[in-house]
Amino acid sequence: MRVKLCALLAIATTLGLSAPPASAQQPVVLKVAIVQQIDSMNPFLAVFQSSTEIGRLMYDYLTAYTAQDQSVTEGLANRWQPSPDRLTWTFTVPEGKKWSDGVPITARDVAFTYNLMLTDEVARTANGSFVTNFAEVTAPDDRTVVIRTKTPQVTMLALDVPIVPEHVWSKVGSIKDYANDQMPVVGSGPFVLSEHVPGQFIKLQANRTYWRGAPKYDELHFVYFQNSDAAVQALAKGEIDLVNRMAPAQFDSLQGKAGVTRNKAMGRRFTELMINPGAQTRTGELIGDGSPVLRDVRVRRALAQAIDLDALVARVNLGYAEKGAGLVPPVFGKYHWQPSAAEARTFDPAAAGAALDAAGYPRKADGTRFPLRLIGRAGRAYDEQASEYLKRSMSDIGVPLDVRLVSDNQLNESTTAATYDLAFSGWSTNIDPDFVLSLHTCAQRPGADGKGGTTDTYFCDETYDRLYAQQLSEFDEARRVEIVKQMQARFYDQVPAVVLAYENALEGYRSDHFARFTTQPAQGGVIMAQNGMWGYYGAEPAQRTAQAASSGWTGFAVAGGVVAALVAAFVVLARRRRATAGERE
Amino acid sequence: MNRMGRTGLAGAGVLAVAALVALVAPLLIDADSLDVTRVTAQAWQPPGAGHWLGTDHTGRSVALLMAQGTGTSLFVGLTAAVLSVGIGTLVGIVSGHFGGLLAGTLLRVTDFFLVLPALVLAIALSTVLPRGLGTIVLAIGLTSWPSTARMVRAQTLTIEARPFVERARALGGGHGHVIARHVVPSVVPLVLVNATLAVASAIVAESTLAFLGLGDPTRISWGAMLHQAQLHGAVPQQAWWYLLPPGLAIVVVVLAFTLVGRALEAVVTPKR
Repeated sequence: MRVKLCALLAIATTLGLSAPPASAQQPVVLKVAIVQQIDSMNPFLAVFQSSTEIGRLMYDYLTAYTAQDQSVTEGLANRWQPSPDRLTWTFTVPEGKKWSDGVPITARDVAFTYNLMLTDEVARTANGSFVTNFAEVTAPDDRTVVIRTKTPQVTMLALDVPIVPEHVWSKVGSIKDYANDQMPVVGSGPFVLSEHVPGQFIKLQANRTYWRGAPKYDELHFVYFQNSDAAVQALAKGEIDLVNRMAPAQFDSLQGKAGVTRNKAMGRRFTELMINPGAQTRTGELIGDGSPVLRDVRVRRALAQAIDLDALVARVNLGYAEKGAGLVPPVFGKYHWQPSAAEARTFDPAAAGAALDAAGYPRKADGTRFPLRLIGRAGRAYDEQASEYLKRSMSDIGVPLDVRLVSDNQLNESTTAATYDLAFSGWSTNIDPDFVLSLHTCAQRPGADGKGGTTDTYFCDETYDRLYAQQLSEFDEARRVEIVKQMQARFYDQVPAVVLAYENALEGYRSDHFARFTTQPAQGGVIMAQNGMWGYYGAEPAQRTAQAASSGWTGFAVAGGVVAALVAAFVVLARRRRATAGERE
Repeated sequence: MNRMGRTGLAGAGVLAVAALVALVAPLLIDADSLDVTRVTAQAWQPPGAGHWLGTDHTGRSVALLMAQGTGTSLFVGLTAAVLSVGIGTLVGIVSGHFGGLLAGTLLRVTDFFLVLPALVLAIALSTVLPRGLGTIVLAIGLTSWPSTARMVRAQTLTIEARPFVERARALGGGHGHVIARHVVPSVVPLVLVNATLAVASAIVAESTLAFLGLGDPTRISWGAMLHQAQLHGAVPQQAWWYLLPPGLAIVVVVLAFTLVGRALEAVVTPKR
């Protein structure tokens, strides 16, 4: 009897998973899955991607990036003018823009925000890097902001700093302790934060007085999920409307699902294989225990040539990536660099082997040349799988790989202490390439004590550094693009790292609930995690029709049945054992 | 033959098959068919004529992975059990035989390991030590010996209280003689039974660690298969053929070891 109950229970649970969800009639709500926690709703403290994403919905920046091609467009300011010496920038905040509580937005709010960051160290926690070069910010009248910088700064139109209302924040005593949870939170963006239950949901109302025009629906809800598998299932069943950061297998599983549209977008991230080029501190002392053979650029080039990037993209990324080249992903088309036919290293193990022979590393009697270690993160699907491919490719050219997959902390420790030969890594990049380029300058290497600096690969190259300094003070865009491309070519030629792939951002949405989303850029762009809020702001609700979701869970029903049968077997066996034990005593 | 004997035989039969698969599989399976860079089949193929148990996320045959994984799971289970039972027997006999301060110290150490949550300790060990099969064996062995130690000590104490041991002592038998000639022979059957049951729990422990991604990444085991299935999206793919076989295999082999262990236990338990 108990056995039957078990089986019934198992089947009932399994079937329960496919019950159709109840759908709300009104107001029109966009429900978005969120997996990452929120660190703070205070825009001066929020650093998690999830938090800054919601910050972008609540607060406008001084300038914005268009959804079309990510060029600079009107934010709070609609006009800007640098002085001839490029040290003084004048921004104009036009009349007519209002905070969500009806108070007009003025230049004084902008000056207040920047000055708060200049005077209060805590307010520089999240976005401090944007104002470090500021000398003075003033608002001579309600419409004009004047920013004086210490040295010319090329990123003046890319100040990703949320501007806060002076009439609210001037009353805040300690920025550090201010949670910014006085609902509804006064903001300038297309949505107003109205409710936040940590770990459960975040609710935002459409800002009807938004200066670009009100959003086309009423509420935007972010719903927490424990993991992305659960979020994808919820999307398949219509419980939520939008999911991003899907794994390729999850993305594939939504193929052909009625009511779901998938968006394969160009990502902002690149995955790389770092090759320890003989790590040194800023003062030139060797640190770490990288294999000495890797200091030879001919060896690094040969290793890079033996990696089949196309196969990695096809089999490991399942095609959801672009083949790697320069440091700037193709989504930022202007600065993206591809090697010319003459520069490109095409996959050729034979040539790589010959290059190693020529460099003085012939195969020994056992067919190997020198062993190397490869370190990656355990539990990251890409590392676990790509390491098998690399192991095979490297052993083909006589370089046996010792693959070690470790925890996040161990990987970080190893890469910062330079105790690696080869290591998996990756970076997210911004519209302005300055940050990702700066990671490879000599100055970013750690100091004598092994601390400070955020070097990516311990790369230090005179040519690269000279170009870096040039692009930083080059205000002619075409010339700067040219220099940035030269830098990437130099990086590619010196191979302190092989850029393996630019992963696609895989998103999916309920097209039976929302017909259209604005992507950034318009061609092949993302809906979530934009440099802006266009994805949420531009969402257009579809004509709602009642329909139940159904899914093919037969496989799991079978599984449930088998599990129930096993439980039954165990119960019977346990009884028998008890019986024999009884006989024995 | 009684019921216990029959189930024990059934368990032994399952184990014989598993051992055969573990020994023969590496000889028969072509290395290329398990090499993700060389396989040609489509990923996520459901079970069919070409692949009895379908294919995984890279197109490898799940049936071949299962066969290949048998060896790893059995090897880790056996060696970890031997290590754990070895430590336990040594500590048990020494503390039971010598008594005094030494026994007190050893027992406190045993208690310490007994109250530590074994899984947490094993996770900590396998995180700190370099990845590999040896680490997993060590992590399981070092965390699962205290119960054996307790039991062997109890058995040692009862044996040493018997008159024939007293007689041996009176005739001039030293520590070595008493332990080697009297204690060990009467403890061995118990230890063997314990070892059989320890293999079962060691296999589960190995699968747990591998599932959590703490195993040797370059080796295929049943736990590692479950880890990869989960990591590479077998659930959203609804690829039950990738999740079920390793899970069932673990259950069946663990059950077989338990049955054999229980049957042996019935044979060797001293009758009163």
